[in-house]
Amino acid sequence: MSLRTLLNRYQPDGQRSKLGDVSDTSLAFWLLLPATLLLGLIVVYPVAKVIHDSFYSMSIFSEHGPAFIGFANYADALRDPDVWRAVRFTLALCIVTVPGALLVGLGLALLANRPWTWRWPVRLALLLPWALPLAFSGMIFAWFFNTEYGVVNDLLRRAGVAPISFLLIPQWGFLAICIATIWKTSSFVALILLAGLQTIPRSLYEAAELEGASHWQSFRHVTLPLLMPAMMVALIFRTISALQSFDIPYAMTQGGPARYTETLSILINTTAIEYMDVGYGSALAVLLFLLSMAVSSLYLRKLYKGTV
Amino acid sequence: MLTLPLRWIAAAVLLVNGFFPALWILLTSFKSDAELAHTPITWLPQHPSLSNYLHAFSDQPLLLFLGNSFAVAMLSTLLTLFAATGAAYALTRLQLRHRGLILTALVAVAMFPPATLLVPLFEIMRGLGLINTYGALILPYAVQSLPVCTLVLASFFQQVPRDLENAAMLDGCTRLQALYRIVLPLSAPGVFTAGILAFVNAWDEFLLALTLNAAPGTRTLPVGILLYQGEFSFPWPVISAALVVAIVPVAILIILFQERVISGLTTGGIKG
Repeated sequence: MSLRTLLNRYQPDGQRSKLGDVSDTSLAFWLLLPATLLLGLIVVYPVAKVIHDSFYSMSIFSEHGPAFIGFANYADALRDPDVWRAVRFTLALCIVTVPGALLVGLGLALLANRPWTWRWPVRLALLLPWALPLAFSGMIFAWFFNTEYGVVNDLLRRAGVAPISFLLIPQWGFLAICIATIWKTSSFVALILLAGLQTIPRSLYEAAELEGASHWQSFRHVTLPLLMPAMMVALIFRTISALQSFDIPYAMTQGGPARYTETLSILINTTAIEYMDVGYGSALAVLLFLLSMAVSSLYLRKLYKGTV
Repeated sequence: MLTLPLRWIAAAVLLVNGFFPALWILLTSFKSDAELAHTPITWLPQHPSLSNYLHAFSDQPLLLFLGNSFAVAMLSTLLTLFAATGAAYALTRLQLRHRGLILTALVAVAMFPPATLLVPLFEIMRGLGLINTYGALILPYAVQSLPVCTLVLASFFQQVPRDLENAAMLDGCTRLQALYRIVLPLSAPGVFTAGILAFVNAWDEFLLALTLNAAPGTRTLPVGILLYQGEFSFPWPVISAALVVAIVPVAILIILFQERVISGLTTGGIKG
């Protein structure tokens, strides 16, 4: 059920208490208070702080206190080759892993939607990758792609191909990180799409069959259009989390070799936490959340229009 | 519709994709170091032994990490359920101005990249004296799960007949008592579903745990497991054993409650 249906379906009864009823309003205040306090402390205040800090020079190594420097941090960021490399790598990761996870997820959902005799192993096969922590998935895939002892190189050797040092060569490292990310995230996409598939009435397929549609045609003209809303939800959420990639690249390559696989999140963590360059790190953080907000505003707009 | 061999292939694809990585570390956890260094690599352990599990518990305080993860996940789940119950009830049962706006704000929060908030969160936690304590993780984890839990709870609250609540209030219950005595117990499956999702989210988190709570005594599993790696050595059989131990609690949860987890995920449709 989506937010919109939730909002529409449920209209609190107006007869019992009028809008602005004192007891209702004050009860609502108290009920919403814990959530509001949590959000204020953990999101609203930190966001304000990050924006504020991004206009200051606040390095642990500077002798004076924080100094207001306007947009200087942003100007530095735009000139910083490390930032551009991290932006390029993060975007490349999005461009490969988001469509990748959607395609693999769609394939898995279609397979899982067959009338299996035993449903639980199928469901579990989709749930386990979802429940496996990202950091663990990264470690396991780093092991798969290990030069000497990895499964992938074992298969290559058996096929007569020389082993590849996946995690030591930038382009192969990128590929390995993409594969690990697609594996880890496609099962969540599959679960969302499976729920979508199960809402498509059988009668539509029967009608398509009566009219002589092939499997492909009924997939193309019945399944895909009806699955679009679920695909959109998966697409937007996947894009937002791909922009924030941290765990898998960190666990697989720690951003190496030579910082080639450093994502924006890893760069922010290195700058602000390890080098304690708070002002500059904050400016980078603002750039990342502007990127994320651009994507999430798409979702929020759809949410408001009621198409999700 | 599919012919038999195709069905087998489809089943194999699903199962290999879902289980191979977990199966591989399970197999590795029974191998010896010597066997691991052997090329070509062996797939099945030649002399399966449990010694890696003993090492996993003795090389690092794995039991402590497990306990820490469990405490953090459990406490943040309780906190998020408490906050989400209030919010879900207010949003579904009370007259509220700007209901749409409140819900949207709640969801927008879920989209905030944690990496961007690392520095202020670090400072807030230091200010509150919570750095390297469970508290530093419990608060942000509760927030991360808040939107999903609120959506799941709201969809369950709606299904509780209002007449039951009204009857309770006619009998002298206040609204709050009606919530705790009638609505919440009747929505127990929803509370449970939301709780599982929040628990798994907290159990899995890594970035904040690495930054806000990395002290030896309080660190959680994902951070603790990194410690098994030496500077240049990766004792994979021991790491695998530790990973298996770390995955088992969540695996049990999803095996027992798979339908509930799936329905929660698709209702909350939030995090991936």
